[in-house]
Amino acid sequence: MIKVTVNGVTFEREVEPRLSLADFLRHELGLTGTHVGCEQGVCGACTIILNGDSVRACLCFAVQADGCEIETVEGLGTVDNMDPLQQSFQAHHALQCGFCTPGMLMTGVDLLRKYPLATDAEIREGLSGNLCRCTGYEHVVQAIRAVVEANNGG
Amino acid sequence: MVVEVGEAEARPKIIGARVQRVEDPRLLTGHGTFIDDINLPGTLHIAFARSDYAHARITRVDTADAAAMPGVFGVFTASDISDLFNPIRATSRMADYHATELPVLAGSKARFVGEPVVAVAAESRYLAEDAAEKIYISYEELGAVVDPVAAAEPDAPVLHDDVGSNVILTRTFMRGDVDEAMASAPIRVGDSFRMHRKTPTAMENRGYLADYDQGRRALTLHSTSQVPGIVRDALVEMLDIPGNRLRVVAPDVGGGFGGKGALYREEVLVCVLARLLGRPVKWLSDRMEDLMSTNQAFDERIEAELACDEQGHILGLRAEVTGDVGAYSAYPWTATVEPVQVVSFLPGPYRVPHYRGRVRGVTTSKAPMGAYRGVGRPISTFVMERLIDMAAAKLSLDPLEMRRRNMVRAEEFPYKAASGIVWDRAGFMECLDAVTERLDYQGLRESQAEARERGRWVGIGLASYAELTGLGSRIAVAPGMPVNTGTESANIRIDSSGAVTAYFGIASHGQGLETTLAQVVAEELGVRVGDVEVIHGDSAIVAHGTGTYASRSAVLAGGAAIMSARAVREQVLKAASHILEADAGDIDAANGKIFVKGTDKSISFRDLARAVYSEMGRLPREVREDIELEATRTYDPFFGTATPATHLAMLEIDPETYQVKILRYGVAEDCGRIINPLIADGQVHGGVAQGIGAALMEEVVYDDAGQILTASLMDYVVPTAAEIPSMEVIHLETELPNNIGGFRGMGEGGTIGAPAAIANAIADALALNVNELPMTPERLFRLVGKQQE
Amino acid sequence: MKPPAFEYLAPASLDEAVAALADDEAKVLAGGQSLVPMLNFRLLAPSLLVDINRIPGLDYIEDNGAGGLRVGALTRHYSLETSELVLQRFPILNAAMRYVAHLAIRNRGTIGGSLCHGDPAAELPGLMLLLDAKMKTTQRTIAAADFYQGALETALADDEILTEIQLPALADETGWGFEEFARRSGDFALTAVGATVGEGAARIVVIGAHDTPLRLTAAEALFPDIDAVVAAAQAEVSPNDDLHASADYRRHLVGVLTRRALAAAI
Repeated sequence: MIKVTVNGVTFEREVEPRLSLADFLRHELGLTGTHVGCEQGVCGACTIILNGDSVRACLCFAVQADGCEIETVEGLGTVDNMDPLQQSFQAHHALQCGFCTPGMLMTGVDLLRKYPLATDAEIREGLSGNLCRCTGYEHVVQAIRAVVEANNGG
Repeated sequence: MVVEVGEAEARPKIIGARVQRVEDPRLLTGHGTFIDDINLPGTLHIAFARSDYAHARITRVDTADAAAMPGVFGVFTASDISDLFNPIRATSRMADYHATELPVLAGSKARFVGEPVVAVAAESRYLAEDAAEKIYISYEELGAVVDPVAAAEPDAPVLHDDVGSNVILTRTFMRGDVDEAMASAPIRVGDSFRMHRKTPTAMENRGYLADYDQGRRALTLHSTSQVPGIVRDALVEMLDIPGNRLRVVAPDVGGGFGGKGALYREEVLVCVLARLLGRPVKWLSDRMEDLMSTNQAFDERIEAELACDEQGHILGLRAEVTGDVGAYSAYPWTATVEPVQVVSFLPGPYRVPHYRGRVRGVTTSKAPMGAYRGVGRPISTFVMERLIDMAAAKLSLDPLEMRRRNMVRAEEFPYKAASGIVWDRAGFMECLDAVTERLDYQGLRESQAEARERGRWVGIGLASYAELTGLGSRIAVAPGMPVNTGTESANIRIDSSGAVTAYFGIASHGQGLETTLAQVVAEELGVRVGDVEVIHGDSAIVAHGTGTYASRSAVLAGGAAIMSARAVREQVLKAASHILEADAGDIDAANGKIFVKGTDKSISFRDLARAVYSEMGRLPREVREDIELEATRTYDPFFGTATPATHLAMLEIDPETYQVKILRYGVAEDCGRIINPLIADGQVHGGVAQGIGAALMEEVVYDDAGQILTASLMDYVVPTAAEIPSMEVIHLETELPNNIGGFRGMGEGGTIGAPAAIANAIADALALNVNELPMTPERLFRLVGKQQE
Repeated sequence: MKPPAFEYLAPASLDEAVAALADDEAKVLAGGQSLVPMLNFRLLAPSLLVDINRIPGLDYIEDNGAGGLRVGALTRHYSLETSELVLQRFPILNAAMRYVAHLAIRNRGTIGGSLCHGDPAAELPGLMLLLDAKMKTTQRTIAAADFYQGALETALADDEILTEIQLPALADETGWGFEEFARRSGDFALTAVGATVGEGAARIVVIGAHDTPLRLTAAEALFPDIDAVVAAAQAEVSPNDDLHASADYRRHLVGVLTRRALAAAI
């Protein structure tokens, strides 16, 4: 039996040891916003925040999250009340198919917390663990840049 | 949240506005519905035992251990299911093309590594994979068929015995007498070019969920498909279920790029098993399966030669193309789709008086080749643009000037290209001028000269091309196929609450068509973008529709939207004329309001709908019966329209490590009337990024035994944000094309121009010929090393 | 790509963990950033995963009192990347961390896990060799030079757990350089070279161009004749051909990066 808190809600579930945290969130808790793209930690679509740090949910087993706090894309903002990063993604057209987007957002959240992101090169470097095939990254970089500037009072 | 444009009463310009996408809130909050987000109770999950051999006879399959594993519901081989469906092959009336059967599971023979041989259905994917490991298949190797040139030889092992040869298609395009023109030409350049194999790599893997309703004998397939209508029609034939009980639905789809634009054997299998087992059946590709089995692309070898006079005017062009089409001819596009486009588009946006392009498509023991973004044209553009630069170099002519001298000029349209394609008036030269002006081509040349003096390897590359988009019924996407790709339908309906719903046969999977088509409908009907709900990707909502591919949806679905919206608007005005007691000609609609021009008399769509549907007595019966707030129209642009562009790349190569850094990237393109500039920019950015991948990194590698070496995202290298430069995009609108919306298709273009522009920039930086892509650091190392020897 | 079934144990102490490793099909799970992909590809099928993340006292970066550092095996890459103490004592480690994968991997991946996995193209094993680290385990202390025995092969016994990395002080005024070439941001190195220069001597380690991280002792002996060092470095490595680079190209990169790393270090 594991006990995890996801987006502020605590769940207790019986899990098989090999169940990935991504599959647990998606199929046991029904939080399908976290996407699975490669199951080898390369694409970044499954990125979530575990105890305050971004991690790959495909490289973690659900049993390991016992007692942990998790944030997923569902915890950021709602359709009617998106958070500033989500709003910036929409304003800058930083998503097309939307499959990589939850991972991009959760990586963005951690990058914004941890790095100054003073240059576009730094933003690109920070995003380089999240693959996107639709946008060519240009608008994603612009969306994050806008949030950095807003946070800096710009 | 939608950006509103214009004043309440004025007619807003919605087409052309940077409207924020209506798809975004659900996708940004984790509330999209992708294939694996659909969970039906009792679902069985499929895992496959796939062939480990490139080309082998299957002599024995032992499934006993697998069948005995916990949670396993059934194990199925080709012979277990062969009576449950009718076989299918991608036919075409094209001469000298031989269709191959597309089996669902490999039966007697496996023809590429990763081909599905046995399917396990189990309670979970975990258990299904456990069981798949316990399936023992004996093979007798028949010799891998890896090199298409060797495979075309008479003594090569043949993949499809019923065809009798690995060469399954040949075709020639000709104009004039090219051999004569070449023989007498003062300047000739040529080379052997090679574009390596690529795979689309959408971030969402393919996936299929079939649900069979035993009571209704009805099948619903949820599929990550770009072409639900095509899949529905194929399954109707294969499963003998009529179309009114067979529905194919594409939910939110995580990118496609052509890779999800074909019928796949796994989607047939889940349907067959769902009907057989009476439970929902799901297969979700993992990334390894995606890289091994999703239809791949490119992989063309081209011998090409260009002749010109001493002023650089092109005299002739000839090419011999060998396309490596993989193990099967993909349905429905056939194996002709890419190789034939290479030769039909090779002359590019230029005047080529004499031309011969010959192509053959050769089967090999690799994943099938399908339609990938750009289809053929990334290769034809790479080759032609290299030849243009090679000729310019030989003549000591600036590459920009070389292009100016040969590009079709404004007064020459409509222009019949050497391969027979007819270009309508579009901004060919205007794009070349715009991008070179905006990025200050001369200034870049000066800074390049400076850098070179300091020993830096800096190069500039141009690439010009035109594509034919928005194809109507006269010009099929792949000629001779039993599929009509030349029309699209729209059904628009105002319901009794006054809400507008627009149904389409296209299937948006990232293009933002829920927004752009809503813009078109809103503008035509006089409502707000947020008032229009666009429904798409469902074979049941229009009688015929084929989907989203070939840069067609804006032109065809946009055209159908205009026609249907105009028809509904006429009905709205008719009703309003009675309600507002004014002449229909004096009534207009905008922002969700219908009003008598120049007065304050108006009615909302909601109240109008109530008057028509609910408030009996507000309109006389004979008036009511004459009003239908719904219309379906089918649009056929008949011909296609040219979308031209020029790309400009400036890059630097580290002379020691051979790392390539792109310094500047610009695109000028003419996509006609732009529906949404924000979305148009995004399409170009994404296309260019994939083109940069094709130019510098992405390559599917098979070894000599036909083993795939790039079956993970560590080994199949797609670009990250750190490798893609910032881009400048210029949209031109010259003369609008002769289709109802004035739209040109533009989804693929970025991928067509970028490989050529980068190849030319590398060649320029090194003063060497670049005849192979992707130009990886390893290849650059060898290329420079060869020169230094 | 689902992993095969296994038993799972999250012991609260090293003793308990070591006892569990007596099962010879058991594997230690630390950050899991290399192990879990291998499980998902079904390249490994351990009967038991011993998750050491719950063992207290293994996540620290401490002054050793003699100018060096002690780093707990469960320290995450991100901690190393951002530690002030590491920046003061071993700035080369901070600098090299930015080449390691991506933030989400650095957040989760542990120093001990990376060292025990021992990928010859990974940064940390090479850096330990360069910095003459000692690896403290549940049984003994092993010099980094003796730790790597082949591709993905270490001196650790099956029931032995790495607990601490001991980094001896660098001589005053030691200069350093770390140069890496990878195809993409965050990818494993095609080749990387780390160098330190102090008291007139150089130490050079190459990554990704050999079965193991390799210290280039013959090349070091030729310092400060840089051309001779570079030539010797290229002769000393025996890189493999693979999908991403040929042996020749890797050898070429060894020369380029050695020169650059030394230039930075001097």
